[in-house]
Amino acid sequence: MTQVLRCEGLRKAFGDLQAVEDISFTIDRGETYGLLGPNGAGKTTSISMVAGLLHPDAGEIVVAGERMHPRATTAKAAVGLVPQEVAIYPDLSARENLRFFGRLYALRQRQLDARVDAILEVIGLSDRGDDRAGEYSGGMKRRLNIGIGLLHEPQLLILDEPTVGVDPQSRNAILESVEALATDGLAVLYTTHYMEEAERLCDRIAIVDKGRVAAEGTRRELVATIGEQDLVRLDVAGDAPQAAVALRQLHDLGSVDVEDHAVVCLLHGAAQRLPTLLGAVAEVGVSVTGVEVREPDLEDVFLHLTGAALRD
Amino acid sequence: MKRMWTIARVELTRFLRDRSNLFFVFVFPLLLVLLIGAQFGGGGGVQVGAVAPDDVPAERLLERIEDAGGIAIVEVEDEERLRDEVSRGVLSAGVVLPDDYGARVEAVEPTEVAFIGRPDSTAASVRAVVSAAVAQQRQAGQAAALAEDQVEGGGDRAALRTLALDLQAQLDGVTVRAETVGTDELGEEFAGLGQFDLGASSQLFLFTFLTSLASSAALIQLREYGVAHRMLASPTPMRQIVGGLTAGRLLVALVQALYIVVATVMLFQVDWGDPLATGVVILLFSLVSAAAGMLIGAAMRNDNQASGVGVGLGIGLAALGGSMVPLELFPDGVRLVSRLTPHAWANEAMAEIVRRDAGLGDVIPQVLALGGFAVVLLVLGTFTLQRTLAR
Repeated sequence: MTQVLRCEGLRKAFGDLQAVEDISFTIDRGETYGLLGPNGAGKTTSISMVAGLLHPDAGEIVVAGERMHPRATTAKAAVGLVPQEVAIYPDLSARENLRFFGRLYALRQRQLDARVDAILEVIGLSDRGDDRAGEYSGGMKRRLNIGIGLLHEPQLLILDEPTVGVDPQSRNAILESVEALATDGLAVLYTTHYMEEAERLCDRIAIVDKGRVAAEGTRRELVATIGEQDLVRLDVAGDAPQAAVALRQLHDLGSVDVEDHAVVCLLHGAAQRLPTLLGAVAEVGVSVTGVEVREPDLEDVFLHLTGAALRD
Repeated sequence: MKRMWTIARVELTRFLRDRSNLFFVFVFPLLLVLLIGAQFGGGGGVQVGAVAPDDVPAERLLERIEDAGGIAIVEVEDEERLRDEVSRGVLSAGVVLPDDYGARVEAVEPTEVAFIGRPDSTAASVRAVVSAAVAQQRQAGQAAALAEDQVEGGGDRAALRTLALDLQAQLDGVTVRAETVGTDELGEEFAGLGQFDLGASSQLFLFTFLTSLASSAALIQLREYGVAHRMLASPTPMRQIVGGLTAGRLLVALVQALYIVVATVMLFQVDWGDPLATGVVILLFSLVSAAAGMLIGAAMRNDNQASGVGVGLGIGLAALGGSMVPLELFPDGVRLVSRLTPHAWANEAMAEIVRRDAGLGDVIPQVLALGGFAVVLLVLGTFTLQRTLAR
C-alpha cells in the first residue's frame, strides 16, 4: 500500500495548554483512518497541523512525500480539507464557491469547469448550483462543504466532524459518500466523537485523549485490548460510587467505572458471576434497578482506556 | 497574481450583492450631496438676491432680469445680509435698488442700482444681464417722457428730435454701480465653486472611508465562516491571500468613490477639476480607507463590533476632517488637530483642485500626507490581518 500521510511525534501547545502531546499515525491510499475522541482531545489541533494551518512545536508531517508546514504549497495541493464549520461563502452560489476555491488550488479553466460540473453532480446540487448557498438547507451546505474539499482531486481528504448538526438523512448520505471515496483510492482522515461513525467508516482508529493516542488499530483490535471480557452495566438507585468501591473489592474484574447512575464492569464469564456482583452491591445498601450484559464496543474501549465517556 | 485577483473579485462581488449596502452606498451619499448643495447654493440655476422697494418700476426691472433666462430673483431683507450671502456663495450675485427707485424712474431722474458680485465669471454674466435690463428700462422711461412732451407740445418732427436730444442730455438715467464682495478670506475660499461641488468632494471622502470601515465586517465573516482557514489550507501563499483581501478592500473603496464622482457629474454637473490630480487624491484616499478597513476587520472580534467601531470612527474622523463642515470654518486649534485625519488632507487637496484649478504639482504636500497615511495603515493592516488569519 502507498503511504499518503505520516505523522510522527506531533506536539502543539497554546500557552500553558498542551493541546497535542504526542501523536503519531500513518494513512495509506484507500484507507479511512479515524481520530476518535471527545471534544478537546486534540483532534482538531492535529488535523490543523496535518492541513498545514498550524506549525507543530515538534514532530514531522509528510503528505504524499512532501513535508507539510504552513508554507508548503506542494503538500497542501495534495490535501483536501473539510472543516468542521461549513466553510463557504453564503452569498455566492455553489458553482461560484467551487470556482473560487478551485482557482485557489490553481486549477486551469477547462479543468475547473469540468471538475465543478462533476462535483455538483457528486454532491447532488447540479440543479441548485446557481442558487446562493445561503439559501440551502443545512445538509446541502454540508455537501457543498465536502465538495469543495474534493474539487482539486486531493490524495488525502481530511474530514473534521463532518456530520455535526446534520439531520439523519443527510448524515447517512455523507457517510455513504465517504465510503465511496475510500473505495476510489482516496486516503481519508476522519475525526469524530460519534463511535458509530468511526465503527462504520474507519479501517483503523486512533483513540485520542488529552493530546495523546491512547490506542490504535482496527475496531476488532481495539475491542480486543479489553480482552475477551463481557461488559456488565448495573443501573443503581442510590450511591453509585459506593457500589463501585464494593465491586472493586471483588477479584478478576477488568475495570469498574461509574457512569451517572450506573456502574460499568468488565469481567470474564459475566453470566456466572452476575449473582456475586449483585450481592456485593446489595451489601452496601444500594439497590440495582437494571442489568445489561453485552460485548464491549469502542465506547467501552474508550471508557476502559481513559476512565471517561466519549461524550464527556 | 491570478489568485490575488480571484480573492479581490469575490470580495467586491460580495460587497455589491449585499442588499443592505444599496441605500447607504448608492442612495444616501447623493441625498447628502443634494442637501448640502441646496444649503450652499439654493435651488438650481443662478440665484440673484434683490433688495428692492415695493413699487412697479422696481418690480418690472427685476422681471426683466429674470426674463433674461437662467436667473432666479430671491428677495433679501437688507443690503448687509445680501452682501453676506453673496460673499458665502449662497447667492451668485445681488442688486440693491434705492428706496425712491420707482419715483425717480417715473420722474426720469438719475438714480443708481448697486450690483454686488464675487470676482467670478458667473457674477460678470449676471452683471451684464442687470445692466441690459436697466438700460431697457431707462430707454422706456425716456421714450415715455418724450411721447408725453410731444403730445403736450404738438410740435413738428424737428422739434421732437431736439426735445429728445435735450432730454437725453438732461438725464443720466439709471446707472449700474458694480461692487465686488467675497474678497474676504472665507469668500475667496468658496469662490468659483458650483452649487454641489463642495458637498460632492466632502461626501466622497466621508462615504469612501465609512463604507470601507463598515464593510470590514466581511473580513470577520471570513474567519467566522471558516473560509479563511480553507484559503490558508490551499496552496495559495499567505502573502497572496492578504494581498487579495487588501485589493478587495481597495476595490470596494474605489467603487464607492467612483460611483460618487460619476453620479455627481451626471446628476449635479459637479466639477471635479483636473482629472489626474483628482484621480491621484481619490486613489490614495481609497487606499487609506481600504487599509483602515483591513485594520478594523483584523483587530475586531465580531462583525457587530467592527460595524460599530467602523461607523463611529468613519463619522468622527469625517467630522474632524472637514467632510461635514468645511475646514475653513474651523477654529485654528481644531484645524490643526484635523490634520491628524486623512480626510482633512484630502479635502484640502480637493479645495485646491476644484476651487483654484490646481494640478497635481500644486497638491504635492497633501498627496504626500495621504501617501504616508496609506503606507502606515497598510503595514499595520496587513500585519494584523496576517496574524489574525494564522491564529
